[in-house]
Amino acid sequence: MLGETKSGMHCAEFDVLLTEALDGALKGERRERFEAHRAECGACNTLFAEASSGLAWLEEMEEVAPPRNLVQSILAATSEAAQQAAKAEPKHSVWERLGRQTKMLFAPVMTPRFGMSMGMAFFSITLVLNMAQIRIKDLTPHNLSHTFYTSQNKVMKYYENMRLVYEIESRVRDLRNATEESEREREEKNRRRDKNNNQTQEQNQNSEPERRDHRGYSRGLGDGYGPADGLPAADAWQVLASLNGNEQQLWSLAMQRREI
Amino acid sequence: MLTLFAAAQSRPVEARVEEAQVVGQLVRRCTQGDSAAWEELVQRFHRRIYNICYRFAGSADDAQDLTQEVFIKVYRTVGSFDGEKASFNTWVTTVTRNLLVDHFRKTRNDRATDSIDAAQGTDEDGPTLAERLPTDGSESPQIHMESRDRREMVHRALQQISPDLREAVILRDLQDMDYREIAQVLKVPEGTVKSRINRGRAELARLLQRTYRQAL
Repeated sequence: MLGETKSGMHCAEFDVLLTEALDGALKGERRERFEAHRAECGACNTLFAEASSGLAWLEEMEEVAPPRNLVQSILAATSEAAQQAAKAEPKHSVWERLGRQTKMLFAPVMTPRFGMSMGMAFFSITLVLNMAQIRIKDLTPHNLSHTFYTSQNKVMKYYENMRLVYEIESRVRDLRNATEESEREREEKNRRRDKNNNQTQEQNQNSEPERRDHRGYSRGLGDGYGPADGLPAADAWQVLASLNGNEQQLWSLAMQRREI
Repeated sequence: MLTLFAAAQSRPVEARVEEAQVVGQLVRRCTQGDSAAWEELVQRFHRRIYNICYRFAGSADDAQDLTQEVFIKVYRTVGSFDGEKASFNTWVTTVTRNLLVDHFRKTRNDRATDSIDAAQGTDEDGPTLAERLPTDGSESPQIHMESRDRREMVHRALQQISPDLREAVILRDLQDMDYREIAQVLKVPEGTVKSRINRGRAELARLLQRTYRQAL
């Protein structure tokens, strides 16, 4: 059987050398080893006999003559194939080739999933436009520029109003600071006067111990002329009088904000 | 009897090299659209390709169709031939073998019912009876007919062995290709090629002995 080692040769090696032996190319020591193995191994000997017999049969074979018209048939077939290939080429015009290339380019996105996504996006945009009461026909260049300038005007007005509010606030703050400063000076003056009065009273006590100075109880009577935050009423009315209607509204809004 | 094998073996190496150069020039001209070169190539190789197809497919009609298909394929792909990788002969044989394997896979079921004792071919385009008779007077008509019958029987037996063994035997014993070229065509090692050739020859001999015993 193939797979055994006999006479120093494996059956697989015998199988390889068999072709050389049948070709007459196996000589010398290799041929002797080959023959020795064949003599001992029955399977290899059978293989040798059958292969030799098969080769003998095949050596009887002759080249068969092809049909007489084969060359003409081949040339006709190949020329027809060439004509078909030549005809097939001009069929694709520039536009067709461009179309095919475009189709190949967009092939990855031309899928059902992409179509669904596009549909959902379109639906969402339509919904948003309807909710914002934006009509498609309004999206003309003329209407868009009109909307732009209107919006710009609104923004500018808002900005100007805010500037006025802050200006008024700043002036109010200045007035209040000025009022507080004058009040502090007045208090200081009163304090110095009280101090002088006290010194005078002490001097008088030495001479008239029963007399009392009641001037200290009237202090602060003149504080009731301004609002709670210390803004003098006269100053506030002076500011309001200098404003027009729109600015007066803003003034009142600024005041409300300050109260909050 | 003169065999292809013996004829090819006797061909000197110089002649083969010269032929390879001529074929190389023809191929270059073919790639440049030279129809005369293409016709010359067809003239040189159609007989060989037809024989491979005939021995593998078994039928002259199939062989003719397959040979045409091979040349159409060669015509379309001759530009891809690289002379540094293999000879044109090996390349054409590889194309032929691939086409035959495809053909075998397609017609496997049809061939399953074929018999070694099937009727001999009656191909209309094949050589006529008169053409099959010896022309040199060396053989009597009876001997010639017996020899022809034996060859036909071997041909039928060849169709019965497995395709792997058959293609190796055809390329070696009928097309005189060396083992290295056959290994290139079949894409298997040389050792495998030799083993397949041995087993193919042995299987062929067993089939023919069985047929002879049945005939007796």
